[in-house]
Amino acid sequence: MTVIKGYCHINKEDCWVNGKPVLAKTDDPEYSWLRQIYNFVGLSYPKFHKMDQLAQAGVLALALLKHEGDLPMDYSEEGVDLVLANRHASAGSDLRFQASYADHAAPSPALFVYTLPNIVLGEIAIQQKWYGDHIFVVLPAFDPDFFIQYAQRHIQQGCQAVIGGWLEVTDTETDVFLFLAEAEESTGKGGSLPLAAINELYRQPMPSISKL
Amino acid sequence: MDQIKQELKKQIIEQLNLEDVAVEDIADDTLLFASDGLALDSIDALELIVLLEKFYGIQVVNPEEGKTAFKSVDTMAAYIQQKTAQ
Repeated sequence: MTVIKGYCHINKEDCWVNGKPVLAKTDDPEYSWLRQIYNFVGLSYPKFHKMDQLAQAGVLALALLKHEGDLPMDYSEEGVDLVLANRHASAGSDLRFQASYADHAAPSPALFVYTLPNIVLGEIAIQQKWYGDHIFVVLPAFDPDFFIQYAQRHIQQGCQAVIGGWLEVTDTETDVFLFLAEAEESTGKGGSLPLAAINELYRQPMPSISKL
Repeated sequence: MDQIKQELKKQIIEQLNLEDVAVEDIADDTLLFASDGLALDSIDALELIVLLEKFYGIQVVNPEEGKTAFKSVDTMAAYIQQKTAQ
């Protein structure tokens, strides 16, 4: 059986790992919310600063899950399959790239790179040196059955872990949910929640941490 | 020449979003694409091409020229001086 070993949420104000509050946004004018999370997880990865918000959110969600969820994630290079989805693909970067045409004679190549949502998967793969299967799907809404079927099939086919989730990051919305699934009999650290609970985990109430 | 180099360093940091790098961290001869230098990548190379066009009106049309010009701030400044003198 496939189980969920850990999961995390990032919204516009807070980060939660395994249902527990870990970080609340501050009004620090120097750092954006994503940069505050970067500082919190102690990442030192210069390439992070060149990424668009979608890729940054994916890298940060993984870092949160790994460090705050106490999951070593020491898989083989081919051992992890990744599956992410959202509703608006890379719309934020698409619009910024479109605007850069109007602003400059030569639009930014670095911006152009992120006009595909699946680039976040490449960024995670490069950072973690994970070269298994990965797919980014655009869906009208979070679809638990899609993730359950993907995770079950890939774990049955022999991959050590599936990391997946919903990664919706626009100028007005931050709705990030990342989970780690493994076979129940795996010896890795972490919890053992049934994969079928993924919908409840995604929709778990997250009151504002500052009001707790 | 020194002024061009200083400007270039600022422009490289800004255009390439090198958030953890300060002007003082880039020596004139720091290798831009070496792992023990600034460790820039292929997308950064495209950004440097855009930078030269945007700020100096220089179009890099010969890839071989780019290879030499983009070794360091020294070589970029020399390339700018050579092209603007033509």
